Amino acid sequence: MSDENAFKDADEVYEYIGGMFATATKTPSFVEATKGTNLVVLIKQTKPDAAILVDFPGQTVVTGDEALAGKSTVVLRMSSDNANKFWQGKLNFTLAMAQRKVKLDGKRSVALKLLPLTEGLFDTYKQRLKDAGREDLIVA
Amino acid sequence: MATIEHDAFTAERSDHPTPPQHFEAALTDEEFDVLFEKAEELSEYFREIGPEYDQKNTFAFPSIEKFKASDLGRLSVPKRYGGHGGSLLQTSKVVSELSKGDSAITLAYNMHYIMVGMCLGLFSEEQNQYWMGRVAKGELVFGPFSEKRAGFSGLADMTAVPQDGGGWKLYGRKTWGTLCDAATIITTNATITDKDGNLPDSFEERVAAESFFVADFDIDRETLQGDGISIERTWDSLGMHATGTHTVVFDGFYVPESGFVCEWRTGAFGVLEWASLMFASIYLGMQARVLEESRAVLSKKTLGAVFGATVAADVKVSGVGHIIDGVGDMASRYEICRRVLYRTCEEVTGGYDDNWPIELRFPYIGLAKTFIADNVMHMTKHAMSMVGGMSFRRGMIFERLYRDAAASMFQPLNGDQSRTYIGEYLLQPEELED
Repeated sequence: MSDENAFKDADEVYEYIGGMFATATKTPSFVEATKGTNLVVLIKQTKPDAAILVDFPGQTVVTGDEALAGKSTVVLRMSSDNANKFWQGKLNFTLAMAQRKVKLDGKRSVALKLLPLTEGLFDTYKQRLKDAGREDLIVA
Repeated sequence: MATIEHDAFTAERSDHPTPPQHFEAALTDEEFDVLFEKAEELSEYFREIGPEYDQKNTFAFPSIEKFKASDLGRLSVPKRYGGHGGSLLQTSKVVSELSKGDSAITLAYNMHYIMVGMCLGLFSEEQNQYWMGRVAKGELVFGPFSEKRAGFSGLADMTAVPQDGGGWKLYGRKTWGTLCDAATIITTNATITDKDGNLPDSFEERVAAESFFVADFDIDRETLQGDGISIERTWDSLGMHATGTHTVVFDGFYVPESGFVCEWRTGAFGVLEWASLMFASIYLGMQARVLEESRAVLSKKTLGAVFGATVAADVKVSGVGHIIDGVGDMASRYEICRRVLYRTCEEVTGGYDDNWPIELRFPYIGLAKTFIADNVMHMTKHAMSMVGGMSFRRGMIFERLYRDAAASMFQPLNGDQSRTYIGEYLLQPEELED
């Protein structure tokens, strides 16, 4: 991968990362794991700017201004490059938090419900990139 | 710039916090009273033997049998694993009571409570059933983590080399092996290497490879040798002599795959309240002892005729203004510290720490320890000043408390570290660091 941003615009972010969440929120294991929680995650990305609101119990994903206008219980901020690494399991979350590459706001008890779910998303995301012929985004 | 919008008190009334799962808190007040009486008896015993082992500069070996007999070792182990199900606050109260008897001996057993608390939050259910089941039957657990290079903060230079048949062999030295003279279960951190023992090249990879392990600590207590592991009796310090905080040497110590717990840094920061609040409990107990000893001396001491800062024909110390104020100051500090510690335990147990920014949870919990540590050091110094030169003589309780209190500067978090965490958070820009 070059030094340029992984995604050329917000639409690409929505297609791959947003698309991954659209799949995940309908996957039975995620539905079961998040049932009865108030896990509504606003993912705010930079370079390019993008916003995705994932309502796990409501099984909905919205993007852009609609996402920013929605109500979330956890806000996860990172650059789109780091998001691309993170959702492939290639970014150590604790270290990234300590280095301020990732910012997590919200109640700890709610946020902690998100982290165990992330591992189950890595394969979904990578498969989505492969299916779209975007091997250039896959981190070795 | 970061904002602080986390008034725990206000939020407490409007939110419904979620208590952490690993706090069972199933011990009733009545059940706790029975155990606390045992703590009072054990504290008396620690008080009797404490001076001897401070002087001998060794671990207080006879305390092992007494501690096990007290049934307090399984205090914080959940009932489902065979323990008493004591809460963070109940454990804190027991540690403080023991520390009132002798802080150095208690600091050794505090290691056990710290590791039980941390492990409960990090072990898998299967590991908890096995290891906590053993603790419930009387075994003691310890956890040497610090290494010479950078203490607790340093990424482990100790290596965990993968073995062909599975599991790892550990190589390295841990310098703070408190309770190694009594424990039979060891937990530690090491960095998983390649087959040839090479550490990962990048910083990020080292962080990810640093791992938390648990294993049997099977040591010949005469030779101090085990299979691939040994104790070097290196502990020789200003204070806290009876902790037996020796060096543990790993030289091909085998840990099976079942002994892998989790990534270390990722896991540990979520459960470190068991460390800082237990250390806080040690120093609260020490405060109580300083106050008790100061009152005992100062309420009776008579100077007779003096011509100094005070000029009088017959001076009873308890009537001197700065002594009266000094004892009042000590009692006030103790009471404020007690409230800070108890309230912090309650907020963490009740899940009210949810209202703090995630990054500040660790240092905010640590504030109880740093606050109590600052106060115990002030109190031990002030006690010596008020009691006078006799307190400075070797063997006097005041000089020992003064020496032992100094250890509070080092256990995590210390005051400087806490302020750094908090200050960095408050001064950081909104923008991410990319």
